Amino acid sequence: MSVLPSDEHRMIQSTVREFATRELLPIAADLDQNCRFPREALTRAADLGLMGMTVPEEYGGAGMDMMAYVLAQEELARACAGFQAIVGVNNSLVCEPILRWGSEEQKRRYLPDLAAGRRLGCYCLTEPTSGSDAMSLRTSAVHRDGQWHLSGTKIFVTSGAEADLCLVYARSEREPGARGISAFLVEKSFPGISVGKAEKKLGIRCTSTTEIVLDDCRVPEENLLGERGQGGRIALATLDGGRISVAAQAVGIARACLEEAAAYAQQRQQFGRPIGEFQAVRWTLADAATRLEAARLLTHRAADLRQRGLPCAREAAMAKVFASETAMWTAHKAVQIFGGYGYTQDYPLERYFRDAKITEIYEGTSEIQRLVIARNLLARS
Amino acid sequence: MNVVVCLKQVVDPELPAKDFAMDPGTQRQVREGRPLVISTYDENALEVALQLKDASGAGVKVLTLGAQAAVGDAIRLALAMGADEAVVVDDALAPERAGAEKARMLAAAIRRMGSVDLILTGCESADWVERVVAPLLAEDLGVACVTFVSRIESRDGAPVVRRMVEDGHHLVEVRLPAVLSITSDESNRPRLPKVKDIMAAKRKPVQTWAPADLVLTATSDPASGVEVRQVVVPERTSRCEFLTGEPPELVEALVQRLRDQKLL
Repeated sequence: MSVLPSDEHRMIQSTVREFATRELLPIAADLDQNCRFPREALTRAADLGLMGMTVPEEYGGAGMDMMAYVLAQEELARACAGFQAIVGVNNSLVCEPILRWGSEEQKRRYLPDLAAGRRLGCYCLTEPTSGSDAMSLRTSAVHRDGQWHLSGTKIFVTSGAEADLCLVYARSEREPGARGISAFLVEKSFPGISVGKAEKKLGIRCTSTTEIVLDDCRVPEENLLGERGQGGRIALATLDGGRISVAAQAVGIARACLEEAAAYAQQRQQFGRPIGEFQAVRWTLADAATRLEAARLLTHRAADLRQRGLPCAREAAMAKVFASETAMWTAHKAVQIFGGYGYTQDYPLERYFRDAKITEIYEGTSEIQRLVIARNLLARS
Repeated sequence: MNVVVCLKQVVDPELPAKDFAMDPGTQRQVREGRPLVISTYDENALEVALQLKDASGAGVKVLTLGAQAAVGDAIRLALAMGADEAVVVDDALAPERAGAEKARMLAAAIRRMGSVDLILTGCESADWVERVVAPLLAEDLGVACVTFVSRIESRDGAPVVRRMVEDGHHLVEVRLPAVLSITSDESNRPRLPKVKDIMAAKRKPVQTWAPADLVLTATSDPASGVEVRQVVVPERTSRCEFLTGEPPELVEALVQRLRDQKLL
């Protein structure tokens, strides 16, 4: 496996870096402080082809591979983790499952719009009583009069307020657990779907995180994604890709922290010299750089496996848990290097610190990632 | 309309100062191990050409001098941004050649291309800032030249270019073919390539010519009498001066100092 990006990968990386530096860095603090949804920047991201990166060109996407995808996500998250979350959900949690399990008709109906930014996608899995235990979900899907009737409440839906297309998981069969679940493509214009409470959050504050309320929501038969009872499998396989996306986001946040801290350590003078000359600071930076590199390589490894169509649940979980804990650790250390300044909104460190935390929680907490890794390990031995 | 954009690859001007170095032997900037990018104004020139392509379907070809291995990134980026094809004059000595010599080589390459209506260059390169290539290129080709152009407009079908001057701009009617040197302006901010065009760029044609393929115009002195004797990195010094007195005199003295320094 090559760990050096190709010429094309490097150019995609530098293009997205330029986009993020021009369009996101200058507004990231304002988006965060005012909980403002980055609509204009999303339009420009869609123009560049960032909303459907791995969608083939025949469905209006950019036709990129997973390596290009994770390189781009790192660059977006380095500038604005919230922006990346919106892009990441659209790509990895909505476009990907439609591409893998959608009918030809579903692909033609939804992918071009999702890739061009004409529609935005969201992922509705979590419920008030099913978080880590996602397969115990209770939203019901009843087949009646030639259509599906969905009822229940989904929570913590990223982009819930703005999304046009919701990938909803509901229990359609009598069986408990994963095998009783089906996946549905629910348009916001369908009768019976509404946006509920919007959460006030610690970080990634430019994203909306809302309830999606389904009150006898009528969904046409042709909007079932995959087969009846296949939803649990779709949800779990989709999350493998989502975890790689979150790992790339965490790598981006960790890199932002390290870049800021390294620059500050060279410039901040105390006791007559830059603080970067003190061993306590040097060793911290060295450790942060080493962890960052390791997190990035794990992420690239998982992306490479997924690109090749090989099993990657274990590697995706490893990348996600290691990268997210690296982001949190690095943010913690970077705030410390900045001291009091790091605690203020005059510097971006406190935002990185707040943004980093979500990566240890969503798309499977760190504990769930360890559960996935251990299950995989013990099943093999 | 056929447009040729001349691109130069330079060491990234945003390189941290600590990584900047001069080679005392060649009196040239050390390029090895430094990131190379398209010279700043050359990217504006490419953007102007691509806008012509968007508006009227002009064909856009990029031309560069340099060792093939070193210019790959610039060519790939230009093709990804939207240029149709590229010509590389595979000349490892390019970074060491004086502006006049490069202009002669570019002119020879452009003659070899055949029918060309418009040749665009940056108004100056980000490393040497000589500003000689465009006029010398036009001279060699025997065509018109307008420098410091920010936009190309059209009046009754004839191209009219906006030439930036100190206190505004001139509108200049141009007879084609012509060489224009392009300066930056809010209208020609270089576009970012679309992700799918980055992959498509791989399939666009790139021709490589050897310097020996070019028929240069005769001249008695290939370096045109330019010799670089020494290049020094200026030393930065700062001096602080306190003025004393009452406010009216202070203001007068301050203004005088600023005038002496040619800052006013």
